[in-house]
Amino acid sequence: MSTIDLTIEFGGGLELLFGNVRSHAVSLPTRVPASNSTTLSPPVSTTKPADVDYLIHHLRDHVLKERPELFMEGDTVRPGILVLINDTDWELEGEGSYQLCDCDEIVFISTLHGG
Amino acid sequence: MAPASCALCQNAKAILKRPKTGQQICKECFFFVFETEIHHTITQAALFKPGDRVAIGASGGKDSTVLAYVMKTLNERYNYGLDLYLLSIDEGITGYRDDSLQTVKRNQLQYNMPLKILSYEELYGWTMDAIVSEIGKKNNCTFCGVFRRQALDRGASSLNVDHVVTGHNADDIAETVLMNIMRGDIARLGRCTMICTQGEDTIKRSKPFKYAYEKEIVMYAYFKKLDYFSTECIYSPDAYRGHARTFLKDLEAARPSAIIDIIHSGEAFEVRDDVKATQKPQQTCKRCGYMSSNELCKACTLLEGLERGVANSVITDKARKKLDAMGPAPDNLRTIPIFRSPLPAVSIESSQDQ
Amino acid sequence: MSSCGNPIAEDAALMPRRFKFDKVRDCIKCKLNPGNIVIRHAVYCKDCLTPLVTLKFRRALEPLVNASSGTSKRPKLKASGSLTLGFSGGLGSSVLLDIVYKTYFANQPSVDPSGEPRGGANHPRNTNVWSSCAVCYVEVCNAFTETRDRTEEIRTALAPYPKFDFIPLRLEDAFDASWWSKVATTPDQSQLGLELGKDGLCTEGFHLAACPTLPPAAALRSYLASLPTQTAVSSAIKVIVRLLLLYTARSRQSSHLLLGTSLTTLSISLVSSISQGGGHSILEELQEEWTCGGESTTSEKLNVIRVVRPLRDVTMKECAAFGWWNSIAVVGRDKQARASAGIPGLTQDFIVGLEKDYPSTVSTIARTCAKLEPKSASRGSCILCQRPLQEGLEDWKNRISIRSYSDAKLTSDLCHLPLLAPFGASELSTPPHQPPSILTHLCYSCQATFTSRSSRGPKPAPSSIDVSGALPLSTPLPVWVSANHTRPHVAHEELVMSANGEIWYQKKQGEAENQSVVAKFLLDT
Repeated sequence: MSTIDLTIEFGGGLELLFGNVRSHAVSLPTRVPASNSTTLSPPVSTTKPADVDYLIHHLRDHVLKERPELFMEGDTVRPGILVLINDTDWELEGEGSYQLCDCDEIVFISTLHGG
Repeated sequence: MAPASCALCQNAKAILKRPKTGQQICKECFFFVFETEIHHTITQAALFKPGDRVAIGASGGKDSTVLAYVMKTLNERYNYGLDLYLLSIDEGITGYRDDSLQTVKRNQLQYNMPLKILSYEELYGWTMDAIVSEIGKKNNCTFCGVFRRQALDRGASSLNVDHVVTGHNADDIAETVLMNIMRGDIARLGRCTMICTQGEDTIKRSKPFKYAYEKEIVMYAYFKKLDYFSTECIYSPDAYRGHARTFLKDLEAARPSAIIDIIHSGEAFEVRDDVKATQKPQQTCKRCGYMSSNELCKACTLLEGLERGVANSVITDKARKKLDAMGPAPDNLRTIPIFRSPLPAVSIESSQDQ
Repeated sequence: MSSCGNPIAEDAALMPRRFKFDKVRDCIKCKLNPGNIVIRHAVYCKDCLTPLVTLKFRRALEPLVNASSGTSKRPKLKASGSLTLGFSGGLGSSVLLDIVYKTYFANQPSVDPSGEPRGGANHPRNTNVWSSCAVCYVEVCNAFTETRDRTEEIRTALAPYPKFDFIPLRLEDAFDASWWSKVATTPDQSQLGLELGKDGLCTEGFHLAACPTLPPAAALRSYLASLPTQTAVSSAIKVIVRLLLLYTARSRQSSHLLLGTSLTTLSISLVSSISQGGGHSILEELQEEWTCGGESTTSEKLNVIRVVRPLRDVTMKECAAFGWWNSIAVVGRDKQARASAGIPGLTQDFIVGLEKDYPSTVSTIARTCAKLEPKSASRGSCILCQRPLQEGLEDWKNRISIRSYSDAKLTSDLCHLPLLAPFGASELSTPPHQPPSILTHLCYSCQATFTSRSSRGPKPAPSSIDVSGALPLSTPLPVWVSANHTRPHVAHEELVMSANGEIWYQKKQGEAENQSVVAKFLLDT
């Protein structure tokens, strides 16, 4: 199965939830379950190309060290977390439905760490 | 643990904790303080004078049912000398208002007050059901709210009353303060905490439950076994307003005084004079004669939008200009009957001289 | 029709939900580069964001730098005192620090060929806007369990800014006489305490009580434990941090205290403050001119400290992108240490959630609040938070709720109820000799901080605080509450605690006309 290699960065204090490591290398399969389930359970029938929504679930389930509620709310990142895809606001790239490409750099910055 | 005794009479067993003060009190003391606080609100604001004809805006819901009961009780207990009427607006919402109006009709008999029902259909030619089928559920609260306010004044005018009292409670007012701050509505922010408002030529409107917690109103209705209709409107509020309401409930759960604290804040500030000067003066609607901040009042604008099939585009001033660009309203357009106030018109200049 | 379940639907304006950005994906400023970030529907590229943020910063700060605006249209910027920055390690203050440093401190004056500053060292061009800058960090770890001291991390984070003096402060300094003696012009009297009821919470009467002298950290914990809600704890910490910064700024002859409040955090604090009854001091939440104790006599004119939030037009999102693209390190704080539990935290979740779907909300809130002013006059300032004290507070509270039957005005209202009639005013009136109360010297919000209870029953009484049995259960108050500078609203009186723990209201000579006012504060010994 082919994979996509990504660079993930955390900033603004969000790295504290990820073992205080700012930069992570993450590999995802090119096709992922449409349900965003990240467990390596029996093959799922419906798949989709790997997107940012799936990446968020993957980070929560496999990289995050503590307090998932500070990273995710519902099926997406918590309000107040800025997401940059290759240095561009994800709002310009279709947010969670952006399809990941090999070597993409995804940055998550918390804006919630106050004044 | 022994049951707590009432914090007020120190005697009877406390049966409830007042959200407003946090005190644990007994049933009789609750009735007493609830009613007496309303009495104080009324007397301190000098809302009425003997002989006033007062309409109670009655929906059949908890707030207005308790309001009718308390107004009747206080009127008799303290000899206010008021003639009380029930005034109901039938928005035309099947499965909601038709049922709640049955409650109001029972209240009419229970409280022995004359009842007047005025319908949207009669006044505007549209029921809310018809409006929703035209515009969907997105902005229906805007239509309903604008139409209700004017319908209440017109109903009051036909009853020839001096004053309309409504069941807006502390929670409603706190929510309105927050909403007006969030949407930048400076004019309403200044007005919304006032107990009594009176336009240039409309009937006085006041809110005797301004400092009464919604929870206490529900408790009062429950302990007094009052007959009220407790279904929420089938057309739910739009998302933004829903957020504000949930937020207020969360604040109240964290600290029950938040509701009264927000009202205190709302009363503590006012719009700066230099900002006030830039606000639009009130005028009368050129089509129906109702008070308005534009040439056409909101109700006439909304009605014209409905009649011309562009209802969803007339909810903002900007969209209103778009409608104007479509050309003048056709002559055969359905309009609202001309509004005539029962009170002598007072000009702006003379009212400022006082 | 009082209620359709939607009372505020009445002629409501709508909040239309818009697309996240206007149609074009290119930067609206340079119109050349593809956009990198969406700020309230407008798209900017990376290169244009930095000058945009810096411009907003200068526009918010520079008109407030000079003590008076003068006649010149573009006067030379020169502050009348030094500069103090509040630094939390969070995003906003990290961005603030960096911009302030690069804008006003980093550049050396240009030199002439001989190596001397051009025009001489005293040439106005070569003097800084502020003579010096202190960065204050308030460590809050002793207010919470499981929170570690970050002072050294903060010190490290400040290494790139060598021209700034680092002043580490601690929350418990507010209960430390030795800290007070460093920042105050007057010596400390003695710690004042507040009487606590049986449940370990403050009583509604706000009676002063003798208080054991506790070590500062224990005093802080005792104080916070005496508060009835999480909201109150957050609010108390916010007040302490603010006054630690202000007194420190004063001790350094600062003319300005800058805070890293962004537009987003400003809106949150405005709504949070309104939700806690702080409507009277809404302007101070935006911008404050602070003089110690609230008075502004001519001799103290120099001591006015302007509290400015230069990032007040910059959203958190802009700060985050600015910080990221300019490689500004953010220490970050965990949620607990930000004192955001209760109403402040709920407000933050609410506003940040709303901002996601309705990006204009935060600026609307700040703009709306900037159009307001207090309705009634102030009489001095609150002795705890030192913000303006609204007139007629007790009247208002008594008017809207009945809390006791001893109120004389109720007698006539009771006539219809024979059941309650025996409770005359005499039976239920308060005992004649009450210890002195600070009730009338506290603002509405601070009163709520002490007495507004949660709906979920009383907080468990603090067990960790060891209070000597000989003394009434009480909690210490921050040192500035007992400070003996005169206050306008208690004209020429001062709170004094004697060696044996009694509290006196002392008058300076010559105010016989206030004799009766003082008498009621005197303890019957």
